Amino acid sequence: MARFLTIGERIHVISPTIRKALEERNPEPIIKRAREQVEAGAHYLDVNIGPADRDGEELMPWVVKVLQEEFPDTPLCLDTANMKALEAGIKVYDRKPGKPIINSADAGARIDMINLAAEYDAMVIGLCAKDGIPRDNDERIMYCTEILERAMEAGLSQENILFDPLFVVIKGMQDKQQEVLEAVRQISEMGLYTTGGLSNVSNGCPRELRGLIEATFCAMAIQCGLTSAIINPLDKLVMDVIKTADLIKERYLYADSYLDL
Amino acid sequence: MAYKMPVQKYSGKINEVTIGNGLKLGGESVLPFYSFDGDIGNKPAIGMEIWDIYPESWPKCLQEIFKDVADDPAKWANFCIYNYSPDFICLKFEGASPDGLDRSPEECAEIAKKVAESVSVPLVIAGCQSNEKNAKVFTKVAEALADKNFVFLSAVESNYKEVGAAVGMAYGNIVAAESSVDLNLAKQLNILITQLGIKPDRMVMDPGCSAVGYGFEYVVTTMDRIRLAALQQNDTTLQVPMILPVSFETWKVKESVATEDDAPEWGSQEERAVGMEISTAVGVLGAGANAVILRHPRSVEVVRNFINQMTE
Repeated sequence: MARFLTIGERIHVISPTIRKALEERNPEPIIKRAREQVEAGAHYLDVNIGPADRDGEELMPWVVKVLQEEFPDTPLCLDTANMKALEAGIKVYDRKPGKPIINSADAGARIDMINLAAEYDAMVIGLCAKDGIPRDNDERIMYCTEILERAMEAGLSQENILFDPLFVVIKGMQDKQQEVLEAVRQISEMGLYTTGGLSNVSNGCPRELRGLIEATFCAMAIQCGLTSAIINPLDKLVMDVIKTADLIKERYLYADSYLDL
Repeated sequence: MAYKMPVQKYSGKINEVTIGNGLKLGGESVLPFYSFDGDIGNKPAIGMEIWDIYPESWPKCLQEIFKDVADDPAKWANFCIYNYSPDFICLKFEGASPDGLDRSPEECAEIAKKVAESVSVPLVIAGCQSNEKNAKVFTKVAEALADKNFVFLSAVESNYKEVGAAVGMAYGNIVAAESSVDLNLAKQLNILITQLGIKPDRMVMDPGCSAVGYGFEYVVTTMDRIRLAALQQNDTTLQVPMILPVSFETWKVKESVATEDDAPEWGSQEERAVGMEISTAVGVLGAGANAVILRHPRSVEVVRNFINQMTE
């Protein structure tokens, strides 16, 4: 069984620093955030450039090159709704460290991202949603199946898809948490890989609680079969819990210094 | 449809470590001798054990073979090389033991240097029972044999900092990490040694050995699990060649030390002892050992034939 896959979320257009750096094509702040995450042990780095309607086709390849030159061993997860930008990014992407991940396809308007992944032999996150948050797990599984069917038609094998059941915020949607975990279990039982945005769960909670809530949710989700997550790798508690969960899952051999690795 | 043999592919690979000028250990990406699955790497190597002092405590049948050369380690080493062509010589500083001759580290270094200058094969330097003394001996010997790529057997939990810093960091030799048949400690020690700054391809490991019949199942399962973690789980901390000092163990058990007077019903002592040495060596080779250390020429011959036939 492979180790839990972590995708670092901190290169995101929502951060004013990153937004400015992307606009000005200033590599330094982006590299700094990438380095922090790589050093913290993130396997993949998510690169969210937003919709980038105006210049995405030029922006994505730029940021891909900036990151890969600096971190040739770290694969990237290209995150935008702009299909042309994704395509342009993948074209310059060096696959040596691993396939690029497209973030993300869904069962609605963004289902064509599946075909893009198939065409370029990429991985893709498949959001089990169509318009907004799915109402219940019947819907989630239906969307999951739709994505899977599209992938089969396009010739994209299932191990290239990370199904995201859509993690929801605890503050306001507390009653849905068990349902999401159950969705992870159902999707995993179909033999599929899963992922999710862990910070969704703790959104709006006090800063000192976020790591704890995310780490606990993640551990519970891993027991349900979760195989990866989009996380803040600088949160040591979350990273340590993931390593410990992998240990309990016997995905690697115990040694006293396992947290150092 | 023609039968297609299934092949077991692993994601991990054992590091290739060069001893001396060109003796390569490891490099395999499959289980031991599984040439039908993939690359089995370098042939396991055989070393012969010699001492810095005359081996009074060895059984007479063994002393008999080396008695004319065993009071001079350089002569002894060359006698082995000339007659039995081992891949390396293991020079064991039994004379450094505080309970015995208590030879000084400087004296040991001089002997090691003399042996190194006289032989054509790489050396593996082994110590005595005292880990504390070994750290001092290894420091001096590593200094005298700086940058030779010789293996030092070994760094243990209580002295790895001193041994690692001298042997691996300061004097450019190869550290062997020794644990005593403890899977988790084996991994932990490798991590600690790499955290000193030693590169994984500059170390080997001795996961602990015993003679057949003396908890040997634990030795074999520990080795098996180390190899599976290295290959299957791609555990880089365990992708380290294993060296097993077989003779250190097999020549001290009763099957090897009981004389024919002690146990007439057991038959020839030499045959028994050689049998113990060969069975143990073949057992650990089958569990992933990349090098074994032996004493008896007959063991060397049989084990070499075994390796050759398994790798042809």
